[in-house]
Amino acid sequence: MIELQHLRKVFNAGWPNEYVAIHDLNLEIAAHQVTVLTGPSGSGKTTVLSLLGCMARPTAGRIMLGEREITSLPERFLTQIRRTTFGFIFQQFNLIRGITVLENVMLPAYPLGEPLGGLKKRALNLLDLLNLASKAAAKVEWLSGGEAQRTAIARALVNNPGVIIADEPTAHLDTGLSREFLDIMRDFKGQGKTILIASHDPMVHDSEIVDRVVRMRDGRIIDAGVF
Amino acid sequence: MFFKPGIIALFLSSFLISGMVLYASFSGALILRYWDIHSGSETQLRLERKTYLISTILGYAFVFQLFSFFLFIYTADTLHPFFTGAMCAVGSLNVNQWGFPLIMLKIITFLLAGLWLIINFTDNRGYDYPLIKAKYLLLLAMAPLILTEAVIQAKYFLGLNPEVITSCCGSLFTADTKGVPAEIISLPRPVMEIMFYGAMIGTLTLGGVFYRTGTMGYAFAAAVLLTLLVSIASFISFISIYFYELPTHHCPFCILQKEYGYIGYCLYLLLLVGGLAGMGAGLLMPFRQIPSLKETLPSMQRHLTLTSIISYLLFTGIATYQIIFSNLKM
Repeated sequence: MIELQHLRKVFNAGWPNEYVAIHDLNLEIAAHQVTVLTGPSGSGKTTVLSLLGCMARPTAGRIMLGEREITSLPERFLTQIRRTTFGFIFQQFNLIRGITVLENVMLPAYPLGEPLGGLKKRALNLLDLLNLASKAAAKVEWLSGGEAQRTAIARALVNNPGVIIADEPTAHLDTGLSREFLDIMRDFKGQGKTILIASHDPMVHDSEIVDRVVRMRDGRIIDAGVF
Repeated sequence: MFFKPGIIALFLSSFLISGMVLYASFSGALILRYWDIHSGSETQLRLERKTYLISTILGYAFVFQLFSFFLFIYTADTLHPFFTGAMCAVGSLNVNQWGFPLIMLKIITFLLAGLWLIINFTDNRGYDYPLIKAKYLLLLAMAPLILTEAVIQAKYFLGLNPEVITSCCGSLFTADTKGVPAEIISLPRPVMEIMFYGAMIGTLTLGGVFYRTGTMGYAFAAAVLLTLLVSIASFISFISIYFYELPTHHCPFCILQKEYGYIGYCLYLLLLVGGLAGMGAGLLMPFRQIPSLKETLPSMQRHLTLTSIISYLLFTGIATYQIIFSNLKM
């Protein structure tokens, strides 16, 4: 269970261009389910995901991850949680050009310092699971859109996180690839992962794998969906 | 006023450190007043972000505070040729009434800055800012001392008058005058030797016990402080004469000079690091039961204890070597 309590995020606080991205947001997200945040651009979906994934700190409010409160954690503890609890899939994939698919996938695990042999084996297993084993040695700039996205998914999963966070994952994908992405998410849901997706793609929030759709607008929840 | 690089560096650093300490103290007061880790208020979250910044900045400031002690004694030593009658740093410090109070204050702030760094390091190991209040209370206690030190240092350097005929260590560190140094020098040598080696053996034994069992931490820290004082007194009383190879020369500052291979810096560094680490280990004793520190604190205390033991052992080793192999035989 992830619980957002009175969450508020203000950018440029105290300046003329102050912008309140999230207003006093309360939300409970069940574990082992697929939750989709939807709403128009500027509704605060990505901000919520970045706060929840410990990539930014709220201006006020707390986030409970299970029994543990995570917004007050000093940076070194936050980094640890970010590395081991969350797997991120970004809209732009953010793969590093010039290195191979396998190296991209292994990258988030390097700071944890585990033996390279075990890590490599796990990364190859993930690539195999996502039908990318044959591309392991290929540079990422040679990949198609679907392959790049699956590489990004493998990278998000390399530390075996309990929570997968995906920000507009189908924004650059055609219908076939979007369906493929949802099929992959179904498998991970089946494995007990908690999946959080920010998307305004109807194909995502209308998908049968989604347990709950939370609708947002102007930094507020307008429909918390069925819990 | 002398425009020497050391003086300018000390002026600038004390100005910067004082500014940082003032700012941090103000924020520390807010933290002490409003800190509530269970609250998700905007004030609390702002304080959480702020303490991260402040402790990082202060960490650097206090590391420089540690270095500035040695820079000060080096600068005081290099100034002595400018004053008639001065042979070492004692002469420079005696030029006006601020020199000796300043060095005393610098020793105190050195130890407090070191202890603050130990508390800050420990606090950063806990996920819930376990020592935040202790850290800022200590800072608030230190702030007046740091600011006073900056003022006295300014008065000392601005009041350096090359026309002054000063008196040096030969007249100050002798049994024929009045004051604490004279009383130390007047003490019978066997008594001081027994005190020094007894204190060292006792402290090292307690350190060993604490390192192995985790008990007697307070006793060890108290012994470390006592041994630090006894060691300084012993250096003045009987150790120094073996370095100078002169039975009547007891100065604790001439040892900082090139003629003695700058060995004084090494000896004082060992004593101060040993004292700091040992006292730091004791200072952390009350926090051993804090849940977020339970796993890391004993290991940190062991590291500090080991550092203290090694530093004191090296100090004793160097002093004893000199006593045995010096050309001075008594």
